[in-house]
Amino acid sequence: MEIACVIDGPPATPLRPGRSGGSRPGRADLQDPVALAERTEAMARALEAIGAAVESERPGEAFFAIDGLRGIHGGGRTGVIAAAREALGSIPGDEDEVRIGVAPTRTAAFAAAHRRDGSVVHPAGLAGFLAPLRVAVLGYRLDAAAPEVEALILALERLGLDTLGQLSRLAADQVADRFGPLGLQARRLARGEDEPLRPRAPQEELAEQLELPEGTAGQQLDRALELLVDRLLAAPQRRGRTLLGLRLGAVLAAGGSWSVEQGLGRPSASARVLRRVLTPRLEGLPGPASALRLRALGFGPAAADQLELEVGGEEPRRRRVGAAVREVRATQGPEALLRILPVATASRVPERWALLTPFPEL
Amino acid sequence: MAPGLRRLYRPEPAAVRTGADGVPVSVDGVAVEALRERWLVDDRWWVPRARLHREYFELALADGRALVVFRDLHSEYWYRQRA
Repeated sequence: MEIACVIDGPPATPLRPGRSGGSRPGRADLQDPVALAERTEAMARALEAIGAAVESERPGEAFFAIDGLRGIHGGGRTGVIAAAREALGSIPGDEDEVRIGVAPTRTAAFAAAHRRDGSVVHPAGLAGFLAPLRVAVLGYRLDAAAPEVEALILALERLGLDTLGQLSRLAADQVADRFGPLGLQARRLARGEDEPLRPRAPQEELAEQLELPEGTAGQQLDRALELLVDRLLAAPQRRGRTLLGLRLGAVLAAGGSWSVEQGLGRPSASARVLRRVLTPRLEGLPGPASALRLRALGFGPAAADQLELEVGGEEPRRRRVGAAVREVRATQGPEALLRILPVATASRVPERWALLTPFPEL
Repeated sequence: MAPGLRRLYRPEPAAVRTGADGVPVSVDGVAVEALRERWLVDDRWWVPRARLHREYFELALADGRALVVFRDLHSEYWYRQRA
């Protein structure tokens, strides 16, 4: 099996200081984590668009099996990689930062991508490729908490086990006695034994972003969130479905970004419910924001299929209005129904008082 | 302005004649009956090319309408605005 690893620039996790890890980079060298996550998501979507089943569990990297794609993209590895590069080229940002490595295991593919863009490790050369790699590479591949992984790598280095080759030559029982299950996992990776890929279920993208005027805060920020929720619910790609969760993010005016995930408890497409759960989360904003983002995390059944919790009262009217809104929007387009949203009614500049925004689906 | 959003009350060009004191005496050929309020807006002067520098006049016209006009203090053009 051939696995391709696509990496986007330097690893998001700082390298560990020490003999094999090098010096710890300064804060300025680290990528903005939210921006990196957004880019990784875009990378995974681009790969899924060429038919790849993508595993992407850490920011800045994505893995996919080449084997199943050969038939679609010209019969060979080269065609698959070329298709992947073309798809990745459509992502905004620095194209030169994206590197691809191919190998029989994740660890080797990851190291190959870091070594040189386009590196290919053949099954026969896998052991020879892994043997000289520093054990610090395990820091990016072991499936455990960072302090545990850090402690393991330090312990290996203290014992003079600097490379994967040295680790792989140890007997399994010796490693188990000294390092426990994590040590055994490290040994398996060092020997070129890896678990099968765990591809994610492809998702559709539904996200909206709103640029904020300078100094937006307090009630204005709440209004901006309200607007963002309306736009997300009015987006045609939602196709009437409910949402299961949301990721609220912000680009901070002073640089960097912030994000928080919010589950909805039960599937909902109600602007009122979304606003009620998201508004308190704005209090967690660490500073003034220059843009707000909202992304849907998973879709539930269509709003009309949901169980009814309340019968009578305003519910039938709301449902009729909701159906009318959807009908008008379906025939006349998403901007056919708008509402006036007061933004800064106390401003001395009239054009700042209000915005026209999509009418929310009830 | 993000796509899908529209502003209300956008300024529209107006033909304004002023008196010696700079106060409008007619707007689009309609005489001004009274000046109800006058104010100055000087905002975002700290952002290059985004400064908003306007002198506003809230007027009562001879045909009974209430109207807000402003003079852009950079371009010296006059605009009317629903308010």
